[in-house]
Parts: sequence; C-alpha cells; structure tokens
Amino acid sequence: MRKIWVVVRREFIERVRTKWFLVSTIMGPLLMGFMIFLPALMVSRGGAERSIVVMDVTTSDFGQRVVDALDVRAQLHATRAVVEAVALEATADSLAEAVGRKELDGFVIVSDETVENGRAEYRGSNASAQIEMEMLQHYLGQALLTQRLSQVGVNPQLVAHANSVTLDMRTVTIRGGEATEQSGETTFFVAYVMWFLLYMAILLYGVQVLGAVVEEKSTRIIEVLVSSLRPFELLLGKVIGVGAVGLFQLSIWAVTARLLLTQRDVIGRMFGLEGSAEAFPLPEVPVATIAVLLIYFVLGFFLYAAMFAAVAAMSSTEAEARQAQAPVTIFFVIPSVLSLMAMLTEPDGVLFIALTHIPLSSPVAMPLRWVVADVPIYELIGSILLLVLGLLCVTWIAGRIYRVGILMYGKRPSPKEVWRWVRAG
Amino acid sequence: MSDDLAVELEGVTKRFAGHTAVRDLNLTVPRGSVYGLLGPNGAGKTTTIRMIMAIIAPDTGGVRLFGQAKRGRELSHRIGYLPEERGLYRKMKVIELLVFLGQIKGVDGRRAKQGATEWLELLGLGDWVEKKVDDLSKGMQQKVQFISTLQHEPDLVILDEPFAGLDPVNTQVMKDVIVQLTRRGTTTLFSTHIMEQAEKLCDSVCIIARGEKVVDGSLREVKQKHGGNHVIVAVEKGLDSVANVINDRSLVSKSDSYGQYAELELVEGADAQRLLQGLVSSGATVTRFEIAEPTLNKVFIDLVGQDAATARAEEVVI
Repeated sequence: MRKIWVVVRREFIERVRTKWFLVSTIMGPLLMGFMIFLPALMVSRGGAERSIVVMDVTTSDFGQRVVDALDVRAQLHATRAVVEAVALEATADSLAEAVGRKELDGFVIVSDETVENGRAEYRGSNASAQIEMEMLQHYLGQALLTQRLSQVGVNPQLVAHANSVTLDMRTVTIRGGEATEQSGETTFFVAYVMWFLLYMAILLYGVQVLGAVVEEKSTRIIEVLVSSLRPFELLLGKVIGVGAVGLFQLSIWAVTARLLLTQRDVIGRMFGLEGSAEAFPLPEVPVATIAVLLIYFVLGFFLYAAMFAAVAAMSSTEAEARQAQAPVTIFFVIPSVLSLMAMLTEPDGVLFIALTHIPLSSPVAMPLRWVVADVPIYELIGSILLLVLGLLCVTWIAGRIYRVGILMYGKRPSPKEVWRWVRAG
Repeated sequence: MSDDLAVELEGVTKRFAGHTAVRDLNLTVPRGSVYGLLGPNGAGKTTTIRMIMAIIAPDTGGVRLFGQAKRGRELSHRIGYLPEERGLYRKMKVIELLVFLGQIKGVDGRRAKQGATEWLELLGLGDWVEKKVDDLSKGMQQKVQFISTLQHEPDLVILDEPFAGLDPVNTQVMKDVIVQLTRRGTTTLFSTHIMEQAEKLCDSVCIIARGEKVVDGSLREVKQKHGGNHVIVAVEKGLDSVANVINDRSLVSKSDSYGQYAELELVEGADAQRLLQGLVSSGATVTRFEIAEPTLNKVFIDLVGQDAATARAEEVVI
C-alpha cells in the first residue's frame, strides 16, 4: 500500500508541475468567462446594422406592407423599390452590384406569387446568417398574413391588433413530480456543459495514462520499477495519480466557475457590461447532480484509463502508442456522441436509456440523463453496478496485458498473442 | 537450504513461445561472494536474473533469496538491481528521482535522501543534485543509475551486463564499486559475456549456454578442472619456425596461436620441460616460456564451443 502511495504522489506532483497543467488550468476559466459574458457582450453591441431593398414586382402594395413590418427592427433599414416584371433581372443585377460594392446587404424579391403561394427570394451577402434570415422570414410572413386578411376584407385594425401579440413560452423542468425554478433552456445548458466536461476530462486524462505508461516503457525505467513493485500496484498508482490530477483540475475549474457565475454582475460592470446576470441566467446545480457527475467521472476514467494503459503496454514507442490508441478513442467517442444526440432527440427514448446502462457509454450518458430527465433511483444504482462490473472485467484483462506487455519490446503483438498474455497471466 | 546462500535456484525452467530460455537450472550464490553468470548472448542470463528478481515467474522450480522463499519485490529493500536496459525518468530532478526509487523499494524517504546525497557526492555529482536528469551527460546518467541500485546499502546486488555501454571512466568506477561492496560483505551477482571482466572480479562463476548450465563453482576450481596443462610460448623468429615441435601430438594436444605468442595445451601427463628442450634443440631463441593457468575465456570457449559462443540469431528479450 505504501508503495502505491509513493507512485501516486510522484505521478501527481510531476504532472501538476508541468506547463501543460498550468496552461490548461488557466485556459479553463478564461473560456468559461468568455461563454458567460459573450451573450451580454452581444446584447450591448446590439448586432450588426443591415440595409436591404424590398424589390416589389407585385401589382398591389404588398411591398409597402413588408417595409412597414420590417420597420419594427431598429437595426434593419428597408426601402421599397417598385419594379416592372420585365425589368426584374436587370434591376436584380444592378442591386447585386450594389451588394458587391457593400452599399447594400441584400434584397428580397416579392411578387404576386408571393401573396398567392408564399414564394419569395432573398439574395444578399448575409444570406447564410441563420438568425437574420429567420427574422426576415418571420416579418415577411407577418406581412403576407396581413395582406391576405385585408384582401378578404378583414378590418385592418383587427389585423393590426391580432399581430401585436408576440408569444413568449416559458419552459419549466419537472423533477420528482415537482416543477423546478429551472427553465428548459438552462437544463439543456447544464447537461451540455456536463457532457463536455466529462467527455474532455475522460479523454484527456485517459490519454495522459497512455503517455505515462509508454514513457516508462520507452525510457526503459519500467524494469527497475517492476523489480520493486508489482505491475498492478504500479498501474493502480499511476491511474490514481493521473485521476487525482484530473479531479484537482476539475475542482479548480468548478470553484472559479462558481465565482464567475455568482459575481458575474460585478465582473461584467468592471468591463462596462450591464445586465450580464439577465443575459446568462444562473443554472441551478443540486448536490446530487454533482455527486452523480463525480461518481461517473471516476468510474469512467478508471475504465478508459485501464484500456489506454493496456494499449500503451503493447506499444514500444510514443508514436506507436498514439496509433494504437485509435480503437479505444473510437470506443469512447462514438457512444459519447450518440448519447448527446439521443438526449437531444429523445430524452426518454429506449436508445438513451440503453446507453445509460452500457458500461462503455454510461459514464457520459447517465449524468446527462440525470440532468434532463427523472431517473428512478434503482436505475441509477443498476447502471452504477453494471459499470463497476464492466470496470472490474476490463481492469482484470488490462492488468494481465499490462503485466506481460511492459517487458516486451519490438514488433507489436498480434491479437492472438495478446489473448495468450491474458490467458497465461 | 542454507542461510549461507544469498541466492539459490533449484530446477528452474522457463519456456517462451517456441523455445526454452532456461532449462532445469540449479545455481547457488554464497553470501559475500562476487558471482559471475557467464554465457554468450541469448544463453538465458537475463531471463535467469529476471526470475531471481521475480519480474517473471519460472514455469517450474524455485528461487530462494537469503534462504527465504520470499519474492524479490518483498525483499527489494535488501536488493539492488541494475537491469540490462537502463532508464530513468528524464524530466525529474536527480535527487527526487533517487528518493522515489528508494521509496518504492520500501526505504524510508529521509533515509533514501541521505543515502542518495552521500553517493552523489562520492561519485562527483554533488553539483547536480537539483538538476533534471535530462540536463546530465550520458556518463552522469549512468552514475545516477548505479546510485539508484546501491543507495539503500543492499545486501545483494544484481547487475545485468553492468559494463555494457559504459565509458572507460565509468567502467573503472563500476569495478571500484564492486570491489568496495565486497569488502563491506555485500554479495554481488553479475552477468557478462566478456570473460576478461569476470576473471578480474569473480570468485565464483556459472557458465550457461542455450539455457543450460555448463559448469559452476569457484573460479579456481573451474580453471583447474577444465583448464588442463597450459604453456605460453614465444620465439624470436616467429612460431612457424618451430611448427614441428608445436605440432608434436605426443606432447601438445591443442595450440592456439595469437601471432605474437601461442597458448599450448599439453597432453595429459606430459612434461613442460620436454617441450622447452624440444624448442631449444630445434635452434629457436625462446623469448617467452610460461607455465600458465588458462584464461577464463579459453575455458569458456573450450566448454561452450565456438559456435555457441557467438550470438544466436533469434535473440529473445524476455
């Protein structure tokens, strides 16, 4: 036991001292700060100003309606240009040139067909800006509705009244049969951040274990080590050491994130930003969620660290190990991405529930599901038990591969050979 | 089963896929001795040492250390091991690395630091204590490697090809260290395929080839038993001028010419004086005539055979 502790301590101290650790520890909060203040920053900047032309080829005053509807947006300057149908292409070409000279951002073509079939066309330099196009489409639709209603003789005042309401739907998450204070958007945000953290942490620190194992092999210090320690003690010490660095870094990030969030108004004002708190509502993260996150991080990290260690033990050089790690990485990336997609499309679907029970994907999937859905406690326990079982199996196999592999140099072993190592043990 | 033995191997066999690396090996290393494990490349020396250190387990047979059936790791605080493949953590500070290597052997941190500092001073690395291993020259790294083997004052030192890759200065340091350890009562077991080194240092040897023991015992015993009756001869006009005397099969059973002189093995019971008479009466001017015990190298080649003494093609690391 004392020998394991010595390995853990060396691994921890040596890693925390590296530049890589320092840089990534600082980069984390910087990135978070950027994410928190970005919405406020965008609100204060107010988006870009756009000027567009409404090219009216209709026989009615529909073009004017469109201009009126667009007038609501202060950042949008719309002017109407009435064009004869025969001059359509020529005008369009000259407007396109104006766009090219940056005098104009774009133009929307409306015709009688727009009023009848709902077909319109926008050409402009900002045509790929999704939000702007959705906005344009929204106001165009509004103008179309008014036009059609007035065509069938509905009182224009009535139409104006009907148009004046905008819908604001609040989404509230239900947990354990009770509505929480948390909006659906924030829940998603928390889930996404958790997914990202778990994904990055398990992958980054798993690869660190890979590097640590192959370093001992390539520098040939391994033989001195295994003459004093059992290979399994060494492996355990390394994995715990690297994992401890991961937890240490995560907790630094967590503390700074908490500070950034609670003090975001104060910090925002220091940079002359008002309303940082409104632009970025504070997500509520209960202790139980943090516990689930930690349990799955630790178990998931051990699972993948064992696999990375086995792969590293089969390789003689760093370059070889980097190549050989690909299958393990894929084993991790695919279930992780699948979990995120399953959560987005069907948070209570069979696929997502299955993913939260399979040991390869549950380290990432279960914390996600815990945040977005109501997970029965027996399912949580079941998933953890399955993961622990999977972990024991993988560690048993990885330990055997490691024990033989660390003393092997030269050509990479074939799967048959590796199987023999596992059986020989 | 005696307490006077530092290492004892009994009927040890190790097979790897396709071949037997060590076969039914019995070996006893007396306490306080300098013991040479000799053999050509691929003979099974490293495998034997790894089994002594319990890095790999023998298929059959047993290993006892200090008369106990414990494994090498459990006694790591009493054993210093220098593997054939040397290596250190390159990014660690010298002193921290040495303390770590001491601690994993079960040595208390403070004692490890003290031992390491003393040894660093002794080998002239006092100014490099706080430097990173990477900043050291190769020769200095070799010294650090010795220190890691010896810093905890082990009772048994096991060195696998200790002279391989050493510069002349460190070769001398290594020899001095082994002599010094022996004076302190430490048992040293080392492997080599260079007989000259073994001859200078060892009091007991074991020669193995193709995984099997060829001979073992004290150096003198081995030489007496397998050396025969040797004479070293040199004549003024070259050895060809006395070829008829040297090739007299009733007198000389074997001759090895080295150009400047020849090492002759006499027929059992033959008198060396008769050979001298023969040389003188053939008219040659004898410049050297020495009744010698054979070199270990000659014993080795006689026993193992020229073909086995050269490296085997398929050398297996483990």
